[in-house]
Amino acid sequence: MANARILVVDDELIVRESLMGWLRKAGHIVDCAQGGLEALGKIRETEYDLVFLDIKMPDMSGIEVLEKICECSPETMVIMITAYGSVETAVEAMKLGASDYLMKPFEPEHLLVLVDKLLKQKRIIEENVLLKEQVAARRVRYQDLVGASPCMQRLFELIEEVAAVDSPVLIRGETGTGKELVAKAIHAKSRRRYGPFVAINCGAFPENLLESELFGFEAGAFTGAVKTRKGRIEMAEGGTLFLDEVGEIPLKMQIDMLRVLEEKRFQRLGGRDFISVDFRCVAATHGNLEEEIRKGNFRKDLYFRLKVIEIEVPPLRKRKEDIGLLAEYFLSRFRRETNKSVMAITKDAIEFLESYDWPGNVRELENAIERAVVLAKDKVLTRKDFAFLTRQPDVLDEGDKTLEAVEKHHIARVLEECGWNVSKAARVLGINRTTLHNKIKKYNLKDRQQ
Amino acid sequence: MPAQPPTILILPLGRLETLVLCVVAGYIQGILKVPVDIGETVEVPQETYIPDRHQYDAGLLICFLREFALSYRCVLGITSVDITLPIFTHVFGEAELGGHAALVSTYRLGKDTHGRRVTDAVFYERVAKVVLHEIGHVFSLYHCGDGKCVMRFSAKLDGLDEIPLYFCDRCYFLLRRMIFRNRAGEGT
Repeated sequence: MANARILVVDDELIVRESLMGWLRKAGHIVDCAQGGLEALGKIRETEYDLVFLDIKMPDMSGIEVLEKICECSPETMVIMITAYGSVETAVEAMKLGASDYLMKPFEPEHLLVLVDKLLKQKRIIEENVLLKEQVAARRVRYQDLVGASPCMQRLFELIEEVAAVDSPVLIRGETGTGKELVAKAIHAKSRRRYGPFVAINCGAFPENLLESELFGFEAGAFTGAVKTRKGRIEMAEGGTLFLDEVGEIPLKMQIDMLRVLEEKRFQRLGGRDFISVDFRCVAATHGNLEEEIRKGNFRKDLYFRLKVIEIEVPPLRKRKEDIGLLAEYFLSRFRRETNKSVMAITKDAIEFLESYDWPGNVRELENAIERAVVLAKDKVLTRKDFAFLTRQPDVLDEGDKTLEAVEKHHIARVLEECGWNVSKAARVLGINRTTLHNKIKKYNLKDRQQ
Repeated sequence: MPAQPPTILILPLGRLETLVLCVVAGYIQGILKVPVDIGETVEVPQETYIPDRHQYDAGLLICFLREFALSYRCVLGITSVDITLPIFTHVFGEAELGGHAALVSTYRLGKDTHGRRVTDAVFYERVAKVVLHEIGHVFSLYHCGDGKCVMRFSAKLDGLDEIPLYFCDRCYFLLRRMIFRNRAGEGT
């Protein structure tokens, strides 16, 4: 590393000149100082990479100067120059932060090796700091969200801003984009992070069950309510309540929900007393709430109450540059979880994954990687391991092209792919479990493996 | 066409074999392509002697040599005494970066790392390498990171034997430019 900025501090002219001469011949920019005070003045004005510092000087000891350098310019490397007999002081200097020491007279070769070594060290430290700054600025991983694309970077910034306030948030995005992860990130970054994060999928419960699940109930409120139970709203005290698929809240329950959000108090089912709660509401939807308002299925006042702050989570097809990063992330996770030694994904496979449309978004990618890892026979995942993504659907009966027939066929296929895991299949299909159960019953679908 | 004024003066400091001076002059003229004069022998000034180290101060000798530069762009002192800079254990040569004086000692160049005498060919080659290296400094060249360049720094004999007896393209280009610039300066 030529062109380093070096300061030689020694009260002996001959030492200063000899060192300066040699260092200049090595291509460095060299200044000198006759004593400690002059040296400190120069160090305050100029950033030096390296300082050669004599231990014994008339105005200030080298140790004192070293301590001051460590305070005001900790990134500067210091080499103590010592005469025979003062090695102990040099060792003490090393303990105080000097990088090394030279005992006069020294081999010229030793000087070359030492200067090269320290300048290399300094460069590595600087690169490291730079890299850390870049990583911090880029934040490829933010809580459990992964993404280096500009839209994800904007999302991370938005989460950071939103977390700082306590207003309700409405998260929008297609199914599988990671809306719940965004909600969790907001909670984790907010002042409520030490409180609970309580999530409820409003589409996963029939109407009466959702009500008791949200508001809780008093003993005897209805048949089977043998003892009082707290609802999710109450459980979220001091924390964040995440209402997933908020568009699925039945119309008549929406008014109760609005009241809770506005008054921060509610009554359990069958209860008389009002219970005050302090929580932050974060809601999510994959649907079009405006359209639901127009159809009369969703209350406008609740909608505006929920969307004080709105966050849009981009679909995976709009951030294809993140696919490689996400694939690596999931690969490393499933490698750990499945204990399989699948170490990498080929460039070709990543290109293939990038070319796919991902209607099920990150969740679909996650499932695809999991499936590929579980079934992989080699240590590297290739394009062939993802061939299932483009497999043509089975041919439908020639005569039956009704929407119902297509739906039945598609649901059956997804169920097969998910190994008849209803929750998983419901997520991929973008419907709730209850709806899927109803469809299974309607179409008389059966697991052929059983 | 008038003859070019000599650019470099080779000045023997103390007793030296004439052959060494001729070899050095030959290498300088052959590689640097500049005219060279060989001066009369001058005694090594005793005030440059460091009694407790039995060595001569290369820094003071450089100051002494500077007086002889006069009409020469560079004066190169050659000596058989052991030289050093007070902070170092020894040096093979010393030069003023971008100045007028350079100094080379043959004292440590005639033996191998085990103290055995080396052949004349090896000895003269080493002398020539140190001479070219120090003259390079006088013409403002820094140490070179290229392993195939005489401007690479080497304070040990085995290292010196490894570097070649020529400049890398970059250093040679810079050196020729500096020499040409100086010559142009002389003409004005």
